[in-house]
Amino acid sequence: MFLEIFKFELAYRLKRPATYLYALILFLFTFLFVIYGSGPASEKTNINAPYAVSQFLIVMTIFGMLVASAIMGVPVYRDVEHNTKNYFFSFPITEKGYILGRYFGSFVVLLGIMAMGALGIVIGSLLGPVFNLADNAERFGPIRFWDYAQPFLLFVVPNMFLVGSIFFALVAFSRQVFATYAGSILLFIAYLLGSTLSQDLENKQLVNLLDPFGSYAYDTATKYWSPVEQNVLLAPLEGDLLINRIVWLSVALLVFLGTVLQFSFSNFLAVKLGKTRNKKGEAVAEIAPSLASLPTPKPVFSTGVYVRQMLGQAGLEFRSIIRDPYFIAIMLGAVLFLFLDGWFGSQQYGTPSLPTTYAMLEARNGTFFFFVLIVVIFYTGEVVHRDKVVHYDTIADALPVPDWMNYGAKLLSMTYICLVLCALVLVSGVVNQTVKGYFNYEFGLYFRDLLSMAFTQYFQYVMLAFFVHTLVNQKFVGHFATLAVYIVIWAVPQFAEFNYRLALPFSGGGVQISDLNGFGHYLSGVFAFRAYWYAFGGLLLVLALWFWNRGSDTGFKARVQLARQRIGRGSIALFALCLVAFVGMGAFIYTNVSVKNRYLSAEEQREASANFEKTYHKYANVLQPKITSAKLNVDIFPDEFKAVASGKFTIVNKGDQPIDSLHLTIPTDNFHRQLTTFLIDGKAPAKILNDTDQGYYIYRLPRTLNPGDTARMDMTVTGQYAGFANSGNNRDVVGNGTFFNVGIFPAFGYDANQELNSDKYRKKYNLPLKEWDAPAQNDPRGLRDFLFTDDANWVTFEGTISTSPDQTAILPGKLLKTWIANGPDGKPRKYFQYKLPGFSDYFFSMCSARYGVKRDTWTGPNGQTVALEVYHHPTHNRNLDRFMASMKASLSYYAKNYAPYPYPVLRVLEFPRYATFAQSFPTTVPYSEEFGWVGDFHDPNKTDYAYYVTAHEVAHQWWGHQIMPSRTRGANQISETMAEYSALMILKQRYGAGAMPKFLKYSLDGYLRGRANEDKFEANMLDNDTRAYVWYQKGSTLMYALQDYIGEDRVNQAMNDYMKAARFRQRAPFTTSLEWYGFLKAATPDSLRGWLTDNFEKLTLYDNRITKAEAKSIGNGSYSVKLYVKSATEYYDKTGKELAKGKAPVVVDIAVLTDDGKNKDGMTTKVPLYMQKRSLLPGNHVIEVTVKGKPVKAGIDPYNKLIDRVSDDNLVTVDMP
Amino acid sequence: MQLEINNLSKTYTNGVRALQNVSFTINQGMFGLLGPNGAGKSSLMRTIATLQEADSGSIRLTGLPGEGDLDVLTQKDAVRRVLGYLPQEFGVYPRVTAEAMLDHIASLKGIANGSERKAIVQGLLQKVNLYDVRKKNLGTYSGGMKQRFGIAQALIGSPRLIIVDEPTAGLDPAERNRFHNLLAEIGENTIVILSTHIVEDVTNLCSDMAIICLGQVVATGNPADLVKEVSGKIWQKSVEKAEIDTYRQTHRIISTQLKGGKTRLHAYSDMPLAGFDPVSPDLEDVYFTKITERMEVATV
Repeated sequence: MFLEIFKFELAYRLKRPATYLYALILFLFTFLFVIYGSGPASEKTNINAPYAVSQFLIVMTIFGMLVASAIMGVPVYRDVEHNTKNYFFSFPITEKGYILGRYFGSFVVLLGIMAMGALGIVIGSLLGPVFNLADNAERFGPIRFWDYAQPFLLFVVPNMFLVGSIFFALVAFSRQVFATYAGSILLFIAYLLGSTLSQDLENKQLVNLLDPFGSYAYDTATKYWSPVEQNVLLAPLEGDLLINRIVWLSVALLVFLGTVLQFSFSNFLAVKLGKTRNKKGEAVAEIAPSLASLPTPKPVFSTGVYVRQMLGQAGLEFRSIIRDPYFIAIMLGAVLFLFLDGWFGSQQYGTPSLPTTYAMLEARNGTFFFFVLIVVIFYTGEVVHRDKVVHYDTIADALPVPDWMNYGAKLLSMTYICLVLCALVLVSGVVNQTVKGYFNYEFGLYFRDLLSMAFTQYFQYVMLAFFVHTLVNQKFVGHFATLAVYIVIWAVPQFAEFNYRLALPFSGGGVQISDLNGFGHYLSGVFAFRAYWYAFGGLLLVLALWFWNRGSDTGFKARVQLARQRIGRGSIALFALCLVAFVGMGAFIYTNVSVKNRYLSAEEQREASANFEKTYHKYANVLQPKITSAKLNVDIFPDEFKAVASGKFTIVNKGDQPIDSLHLTIPTDNFHRQLTTFLIDGKAPAKILNDTDQGYYIYRLPRTLNPGDTARMDMTVTGQYAGFANSGNNRDVVGNGTFFNVGIFPAFGYDANQELNSDKYRKKYNLPLKEWDAPAQNDPRGLRDFLFTDDANWVTFEGTISTSPDQTAILPGKLLKTWIANGPDGKPRKYFQYKLPGFSDYFFSMCSARYGVKRDTWTGPNGQTVALEVYHHPTHNRNLDRFMASMKASLSYYAKNYAPYPYPVLRVLEFPRYATFAQSFPTTVPYSEEFGWVGDFHDPNKTDYAYYVTAHEVAHQWWGHQIMPSRTRGANQISETMAEYSALMILKQRYGAGAMPKFLKYSLDGYLRGRANEDKFEANMLDNDTRAYVWYQKGSTLMYALQDYIGEDRVNQAMNDYMKAARFRQRAPFTTSLEWYGFLKAATPDSLRGWLTDNFEKLTLYDNRITKAEAKSIGNGSYSVKLYVKSATEYYDKTGKELAKGKAPVVVDIAVLTDDGKNKDGMTTKVPLYMQKRSLLPGNHVIEVTVKGKPVKAGIDPYNKLIDRVSDDNLVTVDMP
Repeated sequence: MQLEINNLSKTYTNGVRALQNVSFTINQGMFGLLGPNGAGKSSLMRTIATLQEADSGSIRLTGLPGEGDLDVLTQKDAVRRVLGYLPQEFGVYPRVTAEAMLDHIASLKGIANGSERKAIVQGLLQKVNLYDVRKKNLGTYSGGMKQRFGIAQALIGSPRLIIVDEPTAGLDPAERNRFHNLLAEIGENTIVILSTHIVEDVTNLCSDMAIICLGQVVATGNPADLVKEVSGKIWQKSVEKAEIDTYRQTHRIISTQLKGGKTRLHAYSDMPLAGFDPVSPDLEDVYFTKITERMEVATV
């Protein structure tokens, strides 16, 4: 019996075109990714590496869920749909045979379809090198059967079994195919819940187990693989991955067996009953009035009546949707995600941000947006097809109403749905804020954003869906077609790197709201795009009205006949109006995006970079003078998005050759910089090259500058935004929160930072591969330049900055005076004059906003006073004390241990969140709105990153502004690693050593991930020139370990010596990583020299683990604890390949911990009973220690001071007999 | 008031010729439209009800007070304003009550005054015996209740042109009677087109009728006149089942009917037939006579 039904099912499926369509889609999905060389890994990993294959197959199972719902949902539904159930089950078949046959018939086909996805990778890998679309044919590795079979068996089969069984069961028991949609959504929710929770490292294991697809567990198992390992390894079946697979396979089996055992024909056939009927219902009514006695009013047919009818009909449609249980289910899911995304919001170092209104509004761009799309596609379809589906069309279409009445009502009801979606955002946001005790509800902002941005965005998708559904006029085909149109709109830009929004239907983005700058000046651009796409949508809607289906004849001929009758003067006028608006707005946008501004596609940008390099690389080593003094005059016009900067500079030839020409580069971006004045010694130099296209200019100096010669240079630059650009934030000058820097002036000479970095594209454009960005540590040209700018050495600086009278404008240095005077346009302006005592590097911020300010003073032990200032947005005043306290602690620590602070003022200021960073200029640290000002630090266990980042930026006042590294390899470590070290010490001083492990874990994770995603090769601490994960994360881990191993004082003494040697060094050669390292090395005792060289000069990872710890009581509250530990050292080459195992002993912490404690801030900290360093040879050791107090956990290197690839196996719970 | 159908033709995209040069005229009163399954009845009804386009031909509604002559195929809106239509197959919004839905349809029919609308809706609900369940969602209605709802909506707004397509399908005998009585109440100056394949309904209710088959009109006129036409030409005989085929070859058998284990044949002939008894014909005989001119009908 089973066999016949199985064979029938198989044959049926194989005859359906849909089966082949799904297979084709999955095939194309992987095939296109592979042949275009896009994939989940870095440029150094093969496109078809086993790691990539596994990732492809796992992601495919998530998409495969949709296929599974179509394949596994219908086998039993078919008998419901075609009403064959009523007789089919009277045949001599058994329930088990029926169920199993239908199940496996479909399941085999489902697996076959999924296998096509795997085949897509294989064929893509075979054809990839032939077509070379990925621009590097050598990235296709060998094709090995097991690379595909293992993930197929480990992920595809169990996942399909799980989702297939769930869908099958849902339909078998609910007899509703819509149940599978609900099921897919629930599973998707489980998966996405993972992505929300996984932001916090602490939740990792929970997420690994919760995710039904095993995707997160796989990530965890493989996240630290280097490219070399990604190319050969398959996921080991152990740990969370193993548990995840077992758990979910069991769930699948349970669902499957439950379905098979519970299914019965009689239940399946049972008639669905509504609530028990009123018994009186069928009784014969009392005497009915005669027909003639009913009123016979004269019917009214007028536009007013039609409009009222439309409102009534729209209400009816709307109520039909919101009473639909599936709609309610989808809404519940949507609200859940909206709430969760709002709740967790954006996090920094695991610390949440305050639930500001803009954050609540942005929660809608998370998972909620999926739900919006689902609602728009499905319910637009429901509305368009409702009359036909319920067969009400035969009545409705013959009613005396114009077409536009019904059509408009349906469109209107979707308008209501869009408003409901917007209302959900509002409600979820306000609830979130209230629960979190944040009562600054900005209802005005909610309404403005939701109505002008969210609603207009959602409704344009409705227009598209309405059009497609109307023209296709078949519900399911309509869903599919609408989905396909959306996917094309989404996928084309992805694959083709195409982002010209004028040609991307219904694109146009939104506005990032800033508390400082509100919607800023970005609305005009967004509205222009909206108007453009709404005009287009209007065209679609008029077309849809003409082809609106009314009546029973749906043949093409009849629809054309109907359309001819409908095309009347009114609708043609409307069509023409939309057309004019569409073309007009198109022209307007084109003028802004491509005429007033410059648009380059990604490809064109790369080409431009390559051309720039090819044309001007020859000038890379042309000697240019250095600026030694700068006197600036900056006028900011916030309302005009304009800035005028002029400067009087002293330039000196510090080289050994004469200089006869100046090379200037001016960025060709949309800030439209114009050099209006350029004088050398008061004379305009002759222009010998004027390349406005690439922004390169050469001027002949009026007189040759011989070595040591000085000249005066005057420059005036105007920068202004014009109209709006295709994309990008144009954030330099804004209404409130202007922040740019001295880079507004032209730079000297060729800028190597503009070069293409990626090997892939360098090959494509026939450029030599670029191994290093910076020259070697002994390169004389590198040694004569400062790391952060080669235009200047130490400079003296003073400047005047002006802005609108209601704003405060800030330059580095001490404020000398302010005054109000009329500006060039005759309007009053506020002027601020600043001066920086002594020297600084040539790096100056220029800021202006309506600031509130908090002031304090730091007094050093020697009586030095520094004015402390925090400039902030007036409502961002919660965390000011943290910034202030951190500045004070930092000044004290750094002044004591490194060198004096050379300036009389130190300030932190806020700029809008269009960029997310903090940057240290001399005396002045601009800090993104996102970064600390709105942090929610009430939970003491969350990292106080406002404190930490401030300490880091203040440390740059020493590391980067007093010690200025040369432009050589490894020099970044001097500024960034030392700033990290300094901040860690401030944090440790504030919160105690026991609180550090949690923080260090982020560093370790960041470093290991960074090296896994390396596109070129990994560089060590002394050579690294571009990799942030080395100078921040590896650097902070190593420096923390170093101070722990040799003592904080010793490190600080060494750095104090280094400061003395290199601080404000006036002459080249400037300092290098080798000089810095020399001081560290000198401070390190011989016993730890091995560790130092392994970690700073080589690439070394440790594999320390504890397998077991046993304790027994020896009386007096003391215990003897036995630890079974293993230690190993592994050396890697720069590509990530293991070179050798270390043979030397490793000094490592051995620790026994008791229950976690709390420090004075209420922060959870580790409490060691025993913590001592042991020197262990590689291999297994049994260590016995005696502790006083109850041992709870024991381990090796429990704080992860060493760079341990698996950081979770360093601690175990102690077994007590 | 008259409805004139002239040379109406319609071919569906799948090639089915639903209507071929259909012409006849419908006067005020009850008009029966008879025909076998697939004859084109519903196509014709839908075309008159403005739901379907015709390839050629015309339908004119003449003598409508205050409106003049209407071209049904192009002046759809005007026709819809006087139309009451009960489709053969229809549905409703499941999550709306009968009362609310009728009220809504009444407003769509142009009855703008709320209290009048309410009176009409309540009255009609009583007429079709749904008053007690008026607050129930339509999704919970049984087939018969739904059909009665359909009747009620068709009668809203005192339509002058009423088209009812298979109205009594799914109704029990009592409800069917109730419906017939309701039809009888409809005013004199109204055209009611009753499409059905139940000959008896036409006999009982209609003053005029047409029979269509394979998309063509095969007979029109007063039922009594049509019966008169075949009077004396219908003959009957009871035979064994096995003999039917032999008779078919030699006689023009119009219908066969089982009666007490034997099969009773009706044959058409201008002359008396040997072995056959004369029978006084009814409308059913007319129907089968006309139908069998066009197609084979096997009733056994």
